[in-house]
Amino acid sequence: MLSKTFIYVFFIVPFLFLFQNVFDFDEKHEIIHTISVKHPGEKLPITVQLTEVHDETGLPIGYHTNVESVICLEQVCKVVAVKLYWNNIGTYQKYELNPGETLEKYEDDFFEAEDYKKLHTILSNTASPYGEVRLDEVLTVVDETVEEVDAVSGATALELDEKDTVPGAALTCFTLWHWAQGDLVSVMKNITAKTINGDHILEFLNLESDTHYLLAIEELQKRKIYSKVYVEAVLNRISNDKTLLRKSLEYIQSAPKDVYLSFAKRLVVNGGEAERIAALKSLQNIGFNVEKSFFDDLSSALKHFNTYQEFSGFLELMQTRNPDSEIITAAVVPILNEDFLTARRAYYFLLNQNLTEEQKHKVEVFNQKYSGKL
Amino acid sequence: MKRREFFKKGSKAAIAAGVVPMIASSCSGAKDMVYDRDQDKWYHLGTGKTGMPNRKKTVGYDVAVIGGGAAGICAAVAAARNGSKTVLIQDRPVLGGNASSEMRVHLNGVNDIGGQAERETGIIEEILLHNRFENEQESFPVFDHVMYDFVVREPNITLMLNTQAIEAVMDGDKIKSALCWQATTEMLYTINAPIFIDCSGDGLLAATAGAEYRTGREGKAEFNETYAPDEPDGWQMGATLLMSSKDMGRPMKYSPPSYAIKYTHEGASKRRKFAGYHEGIWWIEVGSDDDIIADFEENRHKLMGYLHGVWDYIKNSGNFPEAENLALDWVGSLPCRRESRRFIGDYFVSEKDMTGHKHFFDAVAFGGWSLDEHNPGGIENISEPPSYFHYHFKNVYEFPFRALYSKNISNLMFAGRNVSQTHIALSSSRIMATCALQGQAVGTAATICNSENILPREVTKSHINELQEMLLRDDAFIPNRPANDANDLARKANLIFGSTTSSGDAKNLTNGMSRDIDGAINHWQSDGLSAELQLEWESPQSISKVELKCDTNVKRNIMMRKDSRNDDLYYNGVPKEMLKSLSLQGRINGQWQNLGHIDNNRTRLIKFNFESKSVTAIRIKMTETYGAESVKLFEVRCYA
Repeated sequence: MLSKTFIYVFFIVPFLFLFQNVFDFDEKHEIIHTISVKHPGEKLPITVQLTEVHDETGLPIGYHTNVESVICLEQVCKVVAVKLYWNNIGTYQKYELNPGETLEKYEDDFFEAEDYKKLHTILSNTASPYGEVRLDEVLTVVDETVEEVDAVSGATALELDEKDTVPGAALTCFTLWHWAQGDLVSVMKNITAKTINGDHILEFLNLESDTHYLLAIEELQKRKIYSKVYVEAVLNRISNDKTLLRKSLEYIQSAPKDVYLSFAKRLVVNGGEAERIAALKSLQNIGFNVEKSFFDDLSSALKHFNTYQEFSGFLELMQTRNPDSEIITAAVVPILNEDFLTARRAYYFLLNQNLTEEQKHKVEVFNQKYSGKL
Repeated sequence: MKRREFFKKGSKAAIAAGVVPMIASSCSGAKDMVYDRDQDKWYHLGTGKTGMPNRKKTVGYDVAVIGGGAAGICAAVAAARNGSKTVLIQDRPVLGGNASSEMRVHLNGVNDIGGQAERETGIIEEILLHNRFENEQESFPVFDHVMYDFVVREPNITLMLNTQAIEAVMDGDKIKSALCWQATTEMLYTINAPIFIDCSGDGLLAATAGAEYRTGREGKAEFNETYAPDEPDGWQMGATLLMSSKDMGRPMKYSPPSYAIKYTHEGASKRRKFAGYHEGIWWIEVGSDDDIIADFEENRHKLMGYLHGVWDYIKNSGNFPEAENLALDWVGSLPCRRESRRFIGDYFVSEKDMTGHKHFFDAVAFGGWSLDEHNPGGIENISEPPSYFHYHFKNVYEFPFRALYSKNISNLMFAGRNVSQTHIALSSSRIMATCALQGQAVGTAATICNSENILPREVTKSHINELQEMLLRDDAFIPNRPANDANDLARKANLIFGSTTSSGDAKNLTNGMSRDIDGAINHWQSDGLSAELQLEWESPQSISKVELKCDTNVKRNIMMRKDSRNDDLYYNGVPKEMLKSLSLQGRINGQWQNLGHIDNNRTRLIKFNFESKSVTAIRIKMTETYGAESVKLFEVRCYA
């Protein structure tokens, strides 16, 4: 897979060093991809040469490409070549200009040093207003120091907060933002996803970046990889970050039954409150038959439960998937002595189970004691 | 036929006589004023019958709202929904006032405060959401019908279009009746009501009632206003005449009509911009330093002349080559009014109340548009900027109830640009969505007046908490005033939780704050869909109503505008965050039972009404939004 190594020697304007050193792009293995991509400033797709940079193991470590600073309107601004850099999941990193090149604003005004910094900030902002505005709105801008107006026209079609734009260079911001954050991002993600091997996936699972983790999870699911080492990595990760729980469960729900059940059981028994609740809900909705003994075994986890929601999730699961289990019923009866709301939840559950005489008696005692609250 | 008091009033009646066609106006005496029309005989060719047409009607309502703009609509709907039989009287053939297709001003509110909106909720949001569903194309004529639909579907509202309230009939310091002329039917209505709300802008009814008002500009000293002129004067901000154009795809010629006033832009302030001119230019505006109402027709004629003069400049000066293919496809004939009478209430709101963010015990509304005082002279003074935009707010300000009723006419309330405030305060609060919040407040207050048999001032004294709670329940937002409704059983729940949580906390849903504001998170958001919210009570509760406030992203505008902006700040579709499908269950004797199901929800405030049930818990299952991956709620309430 190794291709020629290109060494780009740019004489970069000094302030751009501010944005460097996130990834070292020097002297790495490169693959050039010819991509046809849509840019909202152009009617037809544009062909770009996207360079993938990867390390010795084949792991993509970043991408770069050369684009023009403004789209389609040479008469409005001078067109300057801009080199954009991304990391391996398409997160914009920095831009560079050729030696001696500068960016221009309208009316022959030049970028100041602060403008270059701000442009970098704008290009880094995935939620920039430039993601929503249209080219025709950008083109009507001649003066961005406008106020709000109450009647119909508005002073301009484009009113951006000062922090969101380089005044006088809306077209450059618009053009470059759509390169930095546009369709190329998913292209890069896809290339990385297809390129990474099992070791890389494992590496991604253990990185702090949620985006890397989610890309890895998606790839595991696509490739149907459920080996222990990955599942353990997933378990380890979600124990520290419950925001990843939903996607992780979607992955594990597509695993073979034994892998899924083992995973779910570990969450119920050893997980925190959020993992336990999510696992109980997952088990309730899982589309295949699960042996009664599996559910009965979960009763051992009850001693770890602390909240009403955990108990309630457990009881709903049992009511739905494992009713009239002697083991479960026996485990639930003592819950009648928990705090009132939890106890009442257990009481409602027990009302629908086959009970021994002794159990019936305990339920009846509860009923008598709390008759006004049931 | 009995004579009504109006016709016995002598000289005051003569004023009305002047505006009612076919009334003799010799002014020789009250007797001569009788509206008998004994010369008006009809003859039916088919039957051969003849007779006198009946052109007089007397009708009674609990609440009479004058003026069908945003403020009047919200006042009428609030009164009607709270149980008052309400009449809404509008002098035009369409609803909407300045935002109607006759005028087409953007219906703006707190559009941008620190880079994001702080949108008005309550009835005005319901209208704007209705508009998102029915009028995503943002057509003003369609908006007329959206508002019409919104009003006529209320069973307690009688809508009278083409009807103008021209004269108040007084009983002491109270308005007993409003005489209203319906132009299309030649009908003179006598409308009796215990409470009148004048949302007409100019406030003719209120003025004829003798309600105190002022016009012009306060001097700096009177209210210590930074942006007021040094000395008081008579200037009132002008009315604007709008237009729109269409790209015909080929060069279009334009020649100005005979009444066009030549425009050159020479010496004009740089802040008189043309950007977006294809949809109208708001600074084509003429005001008055005298009687702006009396000047209206003269000013309208001038504005039509200026409009064509400016368009001639755009089309034929050579400075706008991009306008070559544009042609006018709508031109206004009815100027959009900003200012005339400002009636005096028990409180007079001024600049410092707004910029100082004064906390009012009787706050019922809020605003946040800039202090946007249009320049004296309007287009006749082009060397000045068209507006000064004196001050941009970083937070919303409160608006008090005491500024929404007359100090000397005891059963008269106001909402809109004619409320009790200085000229400078008006420069911000006149924005339509702000006026709409005032409207909802007075409409709700009117129902309290009627149910308690009291007058508006008494609402301030002894029912202000009740008014605020009613408004908050009906999804209005009052800054610094969390809801605390003793009847809300959700606040008594022993446990509240969501099935999943990606941000916020389910406990926030009963904290009384129905939006995230001032840096505080007041929501619960699920992690994905479907999601459930459950409330548990130790003792069974009799519940027949469950009410939710879901997210509609009040930080992003859904205002009615014709520039169709679609970005972080403005959106012209249905907010993707809004909850679409949900169901409600109650646990009754230990068993979950279905209590309601809503598909295709279209409102932020979602209500389940059902036969009263004794429940120990409820759970709300939410299955779909209009696009968001997770559902976000701001409030849950339960009532017996």
